[in-house]
Amino acid sequence: MKIMVCLKQVPHQDARLDIAADGTWIQEDNLKFEINSYDTYALEEALGAKDAGEAEVFAVSIGPDRVTQALRTALGMGADRAIHVKDPEIDGSDALGVAKVLAAIAKQESPDLILMGMMSDDGNFAAVPPMLAQLVGLPHTTAAVKIERANGSVTCDREIEGGAHEVVELQSPCLVAVQSGINQVRYASLKGIMAAKKKPLDVKTAADLGLTGQVGAAAAKAKIDKISMPVKGDRAEILEGSTDDVVGSLVTKIKELGLL
Amino acid sequence: MSTILIVTEIQNGSIREASYELASFAQKLGGSVKSLVMGQGVDALAEEFSKKGGGEVLVAEHESLANYNAEAASSAILAAVAASGADVVLISNTPSGWDVAPRVAAALDCAFVSDCFQIAEGPVLQRRVFNGKLDAIVSVEGTVVATMQPGATSAFEGSSDGSVSKLDVSIDAGALRTRFVETKQAESKGVDLTKADIIVSGGRGVGAPEKFQEVIEPLAQILGGAMGASRPVVDAGWLPHEYQVGSSGQVVQPKLYIACGISGAIQHLVGMKTSNFIIAINKDPDAPIFEVADLGVVADLFEVVPALTKAVQAAKGG
Repeated sequence: MKIMVCLKQVPHQDARLDIAADGTWIQEDNLKFEINSYDTYALEEALGAKDAGEAEVFAVSIGPDRVTQALRTALGMGADRAIHVKDPEIDGSDALGVAKVLAAIAKQESPDLILMGMMSDDGNFAAVPPMLAQLVGLPHTTAAVKIERANGSVTCDREIEGGAHEVVELQSPCLVAVQSGINQVRYASLKGIMAAKKKPLDVKTAADLGLTGQVGAAAAKAKIDKISMPVKGDRAEILEGSTDDVVGSLVTKIKELGLL
Repeated sequence: MSTILIVTEIQNGSIREASYELASFAQKLGGSVKSLVMGQGVDALAEEFSKKGGGEVLVAEHESLANYNAEAASSAILAAVAASGADVVLISNTPSGWDVAPRVAAALDCAFVSDCFQIAEGPVLQRRVFNGKLDAIVSVEGTVVATMQPGATSAFEGSSDGSVSKLDVSIDAGALRTRFVETKQAESKGVDLTKADIIVSGGRGVGAPEKFQEVIEPLAQILGGAMGASRPVVDAGWLPHEYQVGSSGQVVQPKLYIACGISGAIQHLVGMKTSNFIIAINKDPDAPIFEVADLGVVADLFEVVPALTKAVQAAKGG
């Protein structure tokens, strides 16, 4: 089977976030980037199928030059090949624009299974997976914590509220958006990294995908007008002073609550 | 003037609270309000909702809507959008809501905004990005499908003039490629945090699995409480899932919740913000956890927590 894994490169989770001059996104220059945490679990899931001799795995990512690093990492971990969609025309796309780009790739490649994280650590929209499934005409599920592949179908446990699971069966081809923490993500070995240098990494543009004028900022129907630090209306009373002072106040408070 | 379609959700045989919250958002936005109730044998629920904020309620009855099915739900919502002429479609950001809403937006080729906690004229929507660290204001062009965060507003409690009509949905059950199999209830927990009076939780800031035993657990023990954790800790395999506090773990309401090295992603806050008293200890003064905490300490947890453990021990006379 052929598995397509969609990866997004996002600012490192511990990166300091400064708002960009135009106020609509963060300052991305000089930031450290990493593969979106949710997507790493999707990649691991695909590589597990490859290890079992059941799948060919290719990774797709959209973005500027820096994205090459994420795709090289995926290749180093074991993906067979990668596609980098790189085109300034795509910059500023909303989730639907991103889904259109990935849908064009999926239509060219006809994978049996598309795996990706259920959301990104930066935008947190959780929008692209179901959109992509709709555009390609595939069944899908989200928040998958267990994925079992059978002949012609995929059965998933998806996480719902309060720790309960919903079991859903999807006919192949299909799309599964995974929850974080569903497996132990491997590291790229030195041997893997060396081997990755010889693996194919194709670069495509919006025009290559027949999407000229359909994606990018001008086509976006949802736009972030402004980002800001959240208003801290009734935030916590912050205790100041030495560790001893702070600890003393905490003990007093715990006593007041009748818990000590 | 907007035409708003509220997509309701049925849980355990009744329309869930979050759907009434959508009715509040619809009232606030203003416009003509219509609703969709989908399922099997749901006429009475539709009748009730029409009088409690739902306005003109469309009922989609189909066997494949009895349990959540993304393809079937998507067909029903699209039929309701067409029948109502809605330009604002409101869906709760619940496990089924977040699953179906983007699919509907893609089918409509329209704007989509998720997990919003506010909606105003425009419509302009407000939500968080970067796992709760920043606020974003999003504007849209044309029709919009928006998912709203459960609990972000209070449920609509007024009454409304309403009506109920049948919605024609043509779902060919045999053509669906998605099948609901079953719901598995949460397994009984080895650790039941919901009964603890005091919970001391650690997050990614704790840094390593052994630090939970060295730093977090002693404080929990001396206070006679339980130890909890945030999602990244469980994802990293530092602690088993039964310790997880949050929307996908245990939802807790202890007398005292002490969050150590937890930044406060929304999914964690949902699981603990109604605790009676919250103390947060975090190095980052901008961490969202301080917004729900009552008392905050901006410091290294490895200095404060062991010192607090000692002080509590001393206060207990031992």
